[in-house]
Amino acid sequence: MLRKEHNDLLTKTGPGTPGGRLFRSYWLPALLAEELPENEGPPVRVKLLSERLLAFRDTQGRYGLIDEFCAHRGVSLWFGRNEESGLRCPYHGWKYDYTGQCVEVPSEPEESGFCTKIKLKSYPLVERGGVLWTYMGPPDQEPPLPEWEFALVPPGHSFVSKRLQESNWLQAMEGGIDSSHVSFLHRGELSSDPLFKGAKGNQYNLRDSRPVFEVVESPGGLYVGARRNAENGHYYWRITQWVMPSFTMIPPRGGHPVHGHFWIPIDDENSWTWSFDYHPVRPLAPDEVEAMREGRGIHVKYQPGTFRPLANKDNDYLIDRAAQKAGRTFSGVAGIAMQDASLQESMGPIVDRTKENLVSTDNGIIMARHRLLRAIKNLMERDVAPPGVDILHQRVRSAALILPPDQAFKDAGKDALSVRPGVAHASV
Amino acid sequence: MRSESTRASSAAESRYRIDAPNFRPRTVKVVALDRPSEVLAARLEQDHWDGAMFLTASAFSARPPVGASFSVQAWLSDLSGRTRHLLEEIAGADQVVMIACAGQSVPAAGIIGEACSLKRVATTALIIGGDAASDAALSRTLAQLRPWALMLVVAGSDAYVADMLRALRA
Repeated sequence: MLRKEHNDLLTKTGPGTPGGRLFRSYWLPALLAEELPENEGPPVRVKLLSERLLAFRDTQGRYGLIDEFCAHRGVSLWFGRNEESGLRCPYHGWKYDYTGQCVEVPSEPEESGFCTKIKLKSYPLVERGGVLWTYMGPPDQEPPLPEWEFALVPPGHSFVSKRLQESNWLQAMEGGIDSSHVSFLHRGELSSDPLFKGAKGNQYNLRDSRPVFEVVESPGGLYVGARRNAENGHYYWRITQWVMPSFTMIPPRGGHPVHGHFWIPIDDENSWTWSFDYHPVRPLAPDEVEAMREGRGIHVKYQPGTFRPLANKDNDYLIDRAAQKAGRTFSGVAGIAMQDASLQESMGPIVDRTKENLVSTDNGIIMARHRLLRAIKNLMERDVAPPGVDILHQRVRSAALILPPDQAFKDAGKDALSVRPGVAHASV
Repeated sequence: MRSESTRASSAAESRYRIDAPNFRPRTVKVVALDRPSEVLAARLEQDHWDGAMFLTASAFSARPPVGASFSVQAWLSDLSGRTRHLLEEIAGADQVVMIACAGQSVPAAGIIGEACSLKRVATTALIIGGDAASDAALSRTLAQLRPWALMLVVAGSDAYVADMLRALRA
């Protein structure tokens, strides 16, 4: 259960809100680089943190992320002409550069300098790891560029996708740290999904459907450990990383690529679920990339021409009651991503957390809320940068480990839980 | 035709979620396992709670002679010092939360955990001060709690305890 005022603090991220200020402390994934594939290509509408923006790539290849609307009469610049180092409004020809600075107002004498008095709000937009990242906070507090490992490995070692999630970011993110749902909702996928099957660790998962959990605070967020029995009195540990505000990394399985998510608010009722797969020491194999493009693992198939999943609430997520009854899927919805999204969206755009009844195994979620609220308070009252801004907090890995029964995983797995360049992730 | 899911998960339809209680009060027994946790429990007890009761095992945690083990016929105390029969207290709980400070020795965890197993009561263990303790100290406390907790949390700040109890409607 969460009080309404706390639920509002965490779920509302528009301009001027405390939760919005928290998100505006970080570099956030805004677009896939492939959405702006060429100089002077068509601009792309982007809504982030309840702000309507427009992304474009100018003649010199510079990325711009600016207020969507022309300062003159409020026309959407999505209709604009991307030409000669700027975006020109098709209504009266006002032109803006990649910083949002107006550089031409054709109706006014050039020597009047009128255009220098017009500037649209803009944010930096930087490519890293196939993702265009933006920072929407105060310019004088801009943190260093993000250093998530998946974004720094060589090209070909990673695959990144995004999908529209028709719910608030928090209920989606909470699914990412709710390890206890995996044994139910996703149980069919461990044996069938090409990006999971074959790992030795899967046997421990399938043998023991009642893991024991340990939640430990980390510098940037949380380690969520799920423990199952292994051989000789040892434990099989799966340790998920959560880094504030909304990064999660799922523990690896065997030699498969490791994967994770960001959940980024579009507005208070919609979010982008970013999904990445990468391998630190080898390129992804063609069949792995093919499987990801086909919507396997944590990715989805799309409605053509969109980032909306093919299975969505308009078609009841293509639920297959026969598959549910036969146990091929637990919920009747196919694929890990949509199994999660269908249930999270079913809660409504912003779930009413005053009505929930949490139990002991929800401590990962309870702790994440506690840390987010504490970070918001520290930010609002004392201007303290929240956890996760520091790039050291970003150099983390999830891990799957076999450990003796008396060891703290945070201690015994210290190396495995940090980025080690040139070394594969710890996996079973 | 619009699908059932589209309609049901809209903001407009969310307003019609039935506004009636969907729970009955839970009895959560919070047991402080060491002296520092007892201080925390005493502070928490001053707040308003729906079904939380605060107890301490610190009095009997030092009791067994060398070589002897605890018995489930043990006693807890409430924070005013009245003794309470362990099994009776556990039997009357929906959930037991054990609190320990990182680095403390908490032999009582075993006996309470055993009593919870016997009575089929879910146990959560909280270790406070995990940030400040050394890895070795944390591991010592962890090793004593781990066999008995369905969920174990290592929290940097004791403020988490109150938040967790409220989240559980204690």
